[in-house]
Order: sequence, then C-alpha cells, then structure tokens
Amino acid sequence: MSKNFLEIENVTFAASAKCKVNNVSLVIENEGDIICLLGPSGIGKTTILRTIAGLEKIQSGKILLKNNIISSKDIHVEPENRNISLAFQDNSLFPHYNVIQNIEFGADRNKKKKKSLTINEVIKFLHLEHIKKKFPHQISSGEAQRASLARALLTKPDLLLLDEPLSNVDQSFKEEIQVKLKQILTDMKITTIIVTHDSYEAFYLGAKCGIILDRQLKQYDDPYNVYHFPNSIEVVNFLNRGILIPAKVTGENSLENQDLGTIKGNFIKHYPKGSDVQLLLQPEDLEHDDKSNLKLEVVDRKFRGTNFIYTLKTLNNLLIPVFVHSHHVHQHEVDEKFGIKRPINIDHIVCF
Amino acid sequence: MWGKNINIWYLSSFLISIVVAIPIITVFGSFFETTSNYTTILKDTFLYDYIFNSLLLLIGVLFVTFIVGVGCAYLVSFYKFPGVNFFKWTLILSFAVPAYIYAYSLTAFFENYGTAFSILKFLFGEANYNSYIPKFDGMMGAIISISFSLFGYVYVLTRASFHYQSQNLIELGKNLGFSKKKSFFKIILPSARPAIVAGLSLVAMETLSDFGSVSFFGISTLTTGIYNAWISFDDLTLANRLSFYLLIFILGLFILENLSRKKAQYHSPSKDGFKSKSLIALKDYKAFFALFFCAIVFFISFLFPVLQMFYWTLIFPKHLIDLNLTELFLNTILLVILSSIVLISLAFISNYGSRVSRSKFLQILTIFSISGYAIPGIILAVAFITFISWFDNNIISFFGFDTIKSFFIGSVFGLVLVYFVRFYSLASNGLKSAYLKINYSIDESAYLLGYSKFKTFKNIHIPYLKNSVLLIGLLIAIEIIKELPITLIMRPFNFETFATTAYIFASQDLLEAAAAPSLFLILIASFFILITSRYILND
Repeated sequence: MSKNFLEIENVTFAASAKCKVNNVSLVIENEGDIICLLGPSGIGKTTILRTIAGLEKIQSGKILLKNNIISSKDIHVEPENRNISLAFQDNSLFPHYNVIQNIEFGADRNKKKKKSLTINEVIKFLHLEHIKKKFPHQISSGEAQRASLARALLTKPDLLLLDEPLSNVDQSFKEEIQVKLKQILTDMKITTIIVTHDSYEAFYLGAKCGIILDRQLKQYDDPYNVYHFPNSIEVVNFLNRGILIPAKVTGENSLENQDLGTIKGNFIKHYPKGSDVQLLLQPEDLEHDDKSNLKLEVVDRKFRGTNFIYTLKTLNNLLIPVFVHSHHVHQHEVDEKFGIKRPINIDHIVCF
Repeated sequence: MWGKNINIWYLSSFLISIVVAIPIITVFGSFFETTSNYTTILKDTFLYDYIFNSLLLLIGVLFVTFIVGVGCAYLVSFYKFPGVNFFKWTLILSFAVPAYIYAYSLTAFFENYGTAFSILKFLFGEANYNSYIPKFDGMMGAIISISFSLFGYVYVLTRASFHYQSQNLIELGKNLGFSKKKSFFKIILPSARPAIVAGLSLVAMETLSDFGSVSFFGISTLTTGIYNAWISFDDLTLANRLSFYLLIFILGLFILENLSRKKAQYHSPSKDGFKSKSLIALKDYKAFFALFFCAIVFFISFLFPVLQMFYWTLIFPKHLIDLNLTELFLNTILLVILSSIVLISLAFISNYGSRVSRSKFLQILTIFSISGYAIPGIILAVAFITFISWFDNNIISFFGFDTIKSFFIGSVFGLVLVYFVRFYSLASNGLKSAYLKINYSIDESAYLLGYSKFKTFKNIHIPYLKNSVLLIGLLIAIEIIKELPITLIMRPFNFETFATTAYIFASQDLLEAAAAPSLFLILIASFFILITSRYILND
C-alpha cells in the first residue's frame, strides 16, 4: 500500500473536448505539502481542481486520497463526501448571506476538528474586518476572493484546492497574504494544490510546481529546478525567463556562439562534441562589464525596482536579456553600446 | 452511460415537461383523424376571413402598443416632469383590465344612449347626440380594447431596458455630437430593441389568443373559429386543426421572442461598467406634453374602464346586490391559491432537476414544454378535453375501469391542471431567470461544504429565491383572476368567478350586470399589481 497522501494515476482531465489534460500522473507525498500548478489560461488547470474535488467525473485512471480511491472509471465519491475544499476563482459566495455568514458556513464544517483556525483569526489575516457585514454584491472582486478563501480555510479540509486565489487581490496585500497563507497552511498541515498563472507566486508557495502545456503535465518538480532546469523548450517559452540561442558544443564544459564567443559551464546533460544545440540563456547568466571588448547594442531597458533588464541585440539579431542591479553606477540608454564580461561562465548549461 | 445521470430530480423534471407538452401533441395528433363536412364548408367560406381578421387585428394592436408603450417608457425613464413618479407605477395598472372588460366599457360608453349620451344630455339637455358620438365597435373596438389592455407588456419591458441603459451610452452620443432626436433613434431605441421586440411578441401572442373581446365585438378570428368549430359544429378535430394553424403562427412569434431575448443578454449591464442616468428636467410646454401624454394613457387604459364600471354599478345597484360576492371571491381566490402552489412547486422541481442533471435533452424538452403560454387558452382547454376523451375511450375503457372524464372535465382539478399547462412558462421562466442569477459555482461551493443536493436546495436556493417566488405567485394571481376561456370551458357546473360572471352577463347583452363583477375583478387584480409593481420598480 502506498504512503502518498494524494495520488493521481494516469488521469485524463476533461471538461470538454477542447479543454483536456491527458494522462496526468503526480503525487503529493506528505500531508501538509503545498504544490502549485502553472499553465496558460484555458489549458485545463481549473478542470483538474474540479475533478479532484469531485465536480467532474473521470473516464480513465484513478485518484486516491489517503489511500482511498475517490475517483476512477467506476467509483465516484460525491463532492460533499470528500472533505475537499475548493476556493473558486470567481465569486462563489452565497449572494443572500453577508460575508461573515458566508465564512461561518466553512466554520460549521470543522466544528469537531481540534486544531483549527478561528473565524476572527482568519478575518484578521485576510483583512476582512471592514466588510464583515456586507453582502457579496457590495464588495469588490478581490474582497470576495479573500472571503471565499477564508471560508475554504475554515473548513480545515483534507485537501484544499485554490483556483487563482489571489488573482484579484490588491498588490499591496498580495505579498503579505502570500506569506501568511503559506504560514497558516504549513502550521495547520493543510495539503494544498494551488492553481495560478503567476510563476513567482507558484515558486514562493509551492514545494513543487507542475507546468501544464499542450494538454500535458510537462514538468513536475521543485521550483528551483523548474526555473533553472526546464525540461523542454515549451517550458522555457512558457516561463519566459530567458532565450534560446544557437551554439555548438566544443568540449566537455564549453560551447561556442557566433556572437558571444566561448561560453563555459557545467552541462546538466551530456552532448557529443560538435553537436548543434539551443542554449538557454537567462538574464542572470551574463554579467555587465564596461571594459569588455564584447559590446552589444541596447534596444530596450526595463526597470524592475531592484534591477534593470537590458535587451541587447547581437550582430546576428539575437535579442539577449541581461540582468543588472538597479544600484549599478550608471545606466545605458537605448542605442548605446553595452559591454558583456568575458569569458562567459554559466553555472549550469541547459541545452536542447 | 446516460442511465447514470438519471435520478429522481431528472425523472420529475422529465414528467412535468411531458404533461405540459400534452396539448401540443394532441393538436398535432388531430391531423391523423377525420373531420366533419364542416371542414370543407369552412375552407370555402370563413377560413380566409379568420386569417385576414386575425392579421388585421394583430397589425393594429402592435402599432398602438408600440407607440403607447415605448412612448410612455421613454418619457418616464429619461425625463423629469410633474407626476413622473406617479405614472411610473400607475401605468402598470392597465394590466388589471382584461381586454374583454375594456370592450364592455368601450361599448357601454359610446353605444347609443350609453354613458357618453347621458353625460351630454346632463350637460346640454335633450338632443339626438347618438349620431355625433363615435362608435368604437367591430375591429376598431377590438384593436383599442386589446391595445390598452396589453400595452403594459411593451411599457414594462422597454422601461426596464431603458432603465439599465448606462449614462455612458448617452454620453457617448453627446460626445459624437448627436442631437437628442438622433441619440434616440441611433442609440436609445436600437439598444432597447430586444426588449421592445420581446414586449411586442407577448402582445402578439395574447392578441392572437384573445377570445373575450373579439367574440364580444363579433369578429371572426382563428380563435373564435376554434370555439365555433367545437361548440357550434361539435367538431373537436377541426377545432384542433385550426389550433394547429394558429400555433404555427404563434410559434413563429415565440421563436422571434426567444431570439430577441437571447440578444437581450448582450445588453445586460455589468456591475462595473454601469453608470446610472441623470434625468433631464423638462420645462414649459415640453413638461406639459409629457404630463398630458402619460395622463391620457393612464386615463384611457385604467381610469376609463374603472369609472365606467363603477358608474354602472352605482346606477344599477340591484345587480350588485344580486351578486354573490363572497362566493365569487372565494372561488377566485381558491383557484389562485391552488394554481400558485401547483405551478410554483412543479416549476421548482423541474428547474432544479434541470440544473442538477445538466441534461441538454431536458433543457430542450423544457423549452418546448413552456410554450403553453403562447398557446391560446381555448386551444389548451379543447386539447385537454380531447386528450382526456381519447385516454378514457382507449386506455381506461380497455382495462375495464370506470370513466375518468368527470374527474378531469368540469372539475376544479381539471381546471387547475389546464391553468398549470397555460401558465407553466410564467412560473418556470420566472424561476429560470432567478436561477440564472445563482452562479453554478454557488451550488458547487455548497456541495464542497458538505451539503447534499436537497440541503443545497433547502438552505441555499429557497432562501435566495423567496422574493422571486413571491413575485411569480403575484403574477400568477393576476393572470388567473383575469383568465376567461379556460375557466369558462373547464369550470365545474355552477362554479363561477368574477371573470366568468362578467362574461356571461355581457354575452347576454346585460352589460350593466357585467359591471359589478368586472369592477371587483379590476380592483382585486389592481391590488396584486400594486404589490407586484413594488418588486418591478425595485428590480
């Protein structure tokens, strides 16, 4: 008998013929683990959550929660009997009850459970004090989303499913709520699956991240590996945190690019000498150096608060992103030349 | 696989839809039966008259209701003038006056030696005024009676649409340099078009199914033809065939109305983009014109028939004394209560069944079965009797049981059953639109909070929908109080309502005796309308 908390075995999630994710297998090993699912809009992330919650049936594979089959071709435990809570992305508050009454519905379900949040705690942490007595139509979508999250948290479910839980929440609260949410979920040991399209949110909240692309779970790994060691070109393109440039493998630890010259580092996968590959170049891989003789033209500059990301054009018209700390002594304007430190050393070389 | 989705909700919903669809099935079934010689006679003689008169009546009524309904809705929605708030809700009172009672009033006032004659005589002394008083009888009388009784549909729906037109839309017109006239024709009217079409379609359906006023004015339309085929020529099959032609006509309107409603969804305001209108204050002659227009419509549509009936009730008190008011009131209220309970309960089951099972087949069947409102009451009654007779003759007698005709025909039970078919769309559509406001994720949230389907229905849906249910109950009450042909045909022997009593007196040319029951009918219906208007105005 498996000891995994949740197991999804070869399940095809389908809300319609168009919205389908095929043959998904993943596990959540321990109670209290948080995982995130990332993917573009309309790919089927919400369908996955709805199916796990029991709102959709499956035609193949099986889903086991605490070693019990909750969904398979022949078994379907009704949603009300699963003790799985789902906070919907849209407003799913009961329209004829005010916010506090809506939240109390969640508390009603966990009365018998020992270690649980109190209504006041959850209201305070989600900044809902001022809207307690208001009805759903009187509050903003961000507030409704927080109230919905409060209700879901209070049920103290075996498995909590959050569908874009903070997508409408104000930026000013978002980071604080992310921190507290993670803290509460960890303290209460609530196993959680979060669907989001914000990769930073996923990397922060999830112990593991699943990337869903082209109707498949493309990669399921910890956030560091997903970012630094993407397993396919599709994942690189989806995360949009680097570019692929052509290069030729010249040795055990080196490659050659026509514009950048020799690039050294540790290959994470072996390629024979002379192979033509696509090298993943991320903004932090190159270093700025005004004294370098490798000068590229600045075509764009994005200010990101703590840093700038310069986009540089090579002779072969490649557009390369380079990260520079925002306290760097000087700035380069568009059309100016920008020096890249040589030799180029990259910690880990990812090629396709 | 499909069997897995069938549960008690699905089955109930399916059965209800089938029961409501029985009259349509029966009407279609008439094509497989033989008819009497009257069919040939009818084809050679009156059939084209029936069709021509029905069309003429329809065009006339649509024209008048469009002008009056849209005109009033426009004035009270966009302008401030003396009495505007009063007219906003009093114009709805025209719903309380059935077309047949309007017809009695019109005749009573303008006929030779009628009320108009008495007024002139009182003011100017004895003279031959009859030749100067216009006569509103025949087709003209029917058009006026039906139009002023039904323009409320166009008024209410158009007003709601105007009400929800955002200020942004009007400001957009100004921004583009449009004059008020151009804004009206290019922006305001086109965006209210689905609502206007929906209102006019309802008027058209009611006009084609009108029996009371056309029979009173002696106009041969398809509806009176159906009645004659059945009553005068005892040819139930032909009555059903005529019903079929009328149904085809009405089906076209029904589809048109449905299509325009679908379009109306695109015009529904979103919470974020809506900006309420600032009303334009009218001054001088413009304010007077607006006031005059609304006042004259209110007078003609409501005050005139009420005053006429009140006047006759006063000058012929004997008829009022002879009237068994308590019995008529109790009978009317009994029908209202029974029908409301049956209609709302079954509409609830059907809607919830459709929602829970999410079956496309059921949804299609539901749409088909709610067309009962589009079918004239007279057709429903005839079709129901046909079906029961067929069922009794073929099924019941086959098994050797006693006849069930008396249980269904000429009984309160049968009457309520036909009301159910006729007004089911009112209850079902009302609940359906109320349900549309509950996002399906609300149900799913309840399931995920551990609520069963029944508990979700009881604890989430019923509390949320209680206001809508009350409103639907009120609308059913108004319809049943006014309903004539079904009550006339299906009622038990000696069981009278205000509507049937008024009709019976009027058909015997005893208009003065019809005044008292008509007046009470209008007053009771007005009471319900005034409560209903609170909801309409608030929502």
